Amino acid sequence: MDALVTSGLTKHYGHRELPIHRPGQRPVGAVRALEDLTIAVREGEIFGFLGPNGAGKSTMIRLLLGYLHPTAGSATVFGRDIVRDSVEIRRRVGYLPGGIALYDSLSGERLLDYLGGLTGRPSKRRAELCDRLELSTRTLRRTVRDYSRGMRQKIGIVQALQHDPELAILDEPTEGLDPLMQRAFYGILDDLREAGRTIFFSSHVLSEVERVCDRVAIVRRGRLVALEDVASLLERRKRNVELRVAEDPPRLDGIPGVSSVRVLPDGRITCQLDGDVGPFLAALAGHRVTDLTIEPAHLEEAFLELYEDAEPEEDETSPDAAAQADAAASPGPSTARAPR
Amino acid sequence: MNGPLFLHTWRSQRSKLLVICVAIAAWSAFLPVIYQSFGSQMKALVDSGVIPKQLTNFGGGDVFSLGGAIALGYAHPISIILISIFAIGFTTSAIAGERQRGTLEVLLARPLARSQVYVTLLAAVLVFIGLVLAAASVGTLVGATIVGVIGELVVGRLPLLWLNGMLLWGAIATIGLAASVSFDRLTPALGITVAIVIVSYFLEILGSLWPDAQGLQPYSIFHYLTARDILNGTLNLFGFGLLAAVGAIAIGIALAVFPRRDLAAPS
Repeated sequence: MDALVTSGLTKHYGHRELPIHRPGQRPVGAVRALEDLTIAVREGEIFGFLGPNGAGKSTMIRLLLGYLHPTAGSATVFGRDIVRDSVEIRRRVGYLPGGIALYDSLSGERLLDYLGGLTGRPSKRRAELCDRLELSTRTLRRTVRDYSRGMRQKIGIVQALQHDPELAILDEPTEGLDPLMQRAFYGILDDLREAGRTIFFSSHVLSEVERVCDRVAIVRRGRLVALEDVASLLERRKRNVELRVAEDPPRLDGIPGVSSVRVLPDGRITCQLDGDVGPFLAALAGHRVTDLTIEPAHLEEAFLELYEDAEPEEDETSPDAAAQADAAASPGPSTARAPR
Repeated sequence: MNGPLFLHTWRSQRSKLLVICVAIAAWSAFLPVIYQSFGSQMKALVDSGVIPKQLTNFGGGDVFSLGGAIALGYAHPISIILISIFAIGFTTSAIAGERQRGTLEVLLARPLARSQVYVTLLAAVLVFIGLVLAAASVGTLVGATIVGVIGELVVGRLPLLWLNGMLLWGAIATIGLAASVSFDRLTPALGITVAIVIVSYFLEILGSLWPDAQGLQPYSIFHYLTARDILNGTLNLFGFGLLAAVGAIAIGIALAVFPRRDLAAPS
């Protein structure tokens, strides 16, 4: 069963393109923040939603939570329409906004009580979350204005998850957390997954996404460029190999899966390896290998490849487009790879 | 209407509310004292022709009668500023301020319809204004009792005066809230509301002091705050209805705009 389904979800900001504009300037028109996005997030999975600033990540989240209204297309959360049933959806969802702002005059405890009260569901996970994120009773009694950035982020995590939501939408959840707390947070995510909760996870930190997510969607300029299991995405990535041999270098050209072979002046051999490592290892047999490093593929490389594949567009470097930042993607046709 | 939101709003405003209630009660208690102390001398001064008669009719009030003194207190900038702290300050920051600070994000992530948020904040501000105006009535009674002029006051008319004040300040509060739900920043919401109130107040005061400008007064919502008439036993039902209509229109605009607005990510 799918927890979240979008079908051709589209969001344009601003006005329709004006027919008159100054020569040499692009016409002022609608900003296409999200274009025809179709994805399905399964119940119980951790789903990563990736893209650089202005790709449409925040727009997508804001559409799901009813902050924005779609221009076209539709979406459902637990089978309920995001426009008609927004209140009912938010009853079952926990949301951590990116760069969360909190009520500074309240104590942490009072703030969590207030937000819990508004949710209308018992805050049954609060004690456990505070414990794992090392938010002591003493800390919670201090006013939020005295909190560090990391503490605010912890409070943000607790407010999003304290009522044990069926779907958690987390925007840059580890921002401001130290490595120990990041680890504690990943533990919380693992527990939520085990409990069958669904997590929609937006992040810039690709190593983190790789660590926690089951599947990822990558968006570029408001369009979906990839939607895949993290494991399959990585499986298809080439691994970087570096080796050193005592005698003559082995002949690696033509070995299945091996490409970009280079012999460096210092004697090191580098190449890229795709798929099964068997033929490569067989080719090394009989050579005295003194050093061998096979670097696993990382999501970052897959992500960059998907972005580099697309031709740069005029708007990409324009100050106007940059200024749209999180709110929207730049206008213009996308040349990105079609969804798989 | 949402209980936790109302309670949170009440808690965050209660200290300010207490201070304003005390201040306006003190101000309202002071006006019967002025009437009792200087009313007859002022009347003699005006009758002598030294002071132009128009200058004694500031905002529909005077100091020659208890009703006039109380009306003067209601139209005086001191009470306007005190009540505006809630009717303008609170309302304009209620949504636009939260939006600017970014806290609206966590509020609207809860299962609350935007109309529910609006109605709760409207109810809260009406309670605040109601209490401030009630404090003014209490202050009037206390002041009139202390200086021994309570007998000149028909106490039973004070609730009508309270209602008239509620309709005026309620209308201003709904304008403030309508501006608040329409903007992402506090400054334009506050600016528009303050501009409407200042222009309206200016038209009324100008008309009350300068006979040639009297034709402008009906265009001011302050013109329909008829404290002296109410205390003298005259009720302007049209004025009551007009203030209620202004409030209803502002509520309608807010309820049409707020739920339909796109709330982009705060910058």
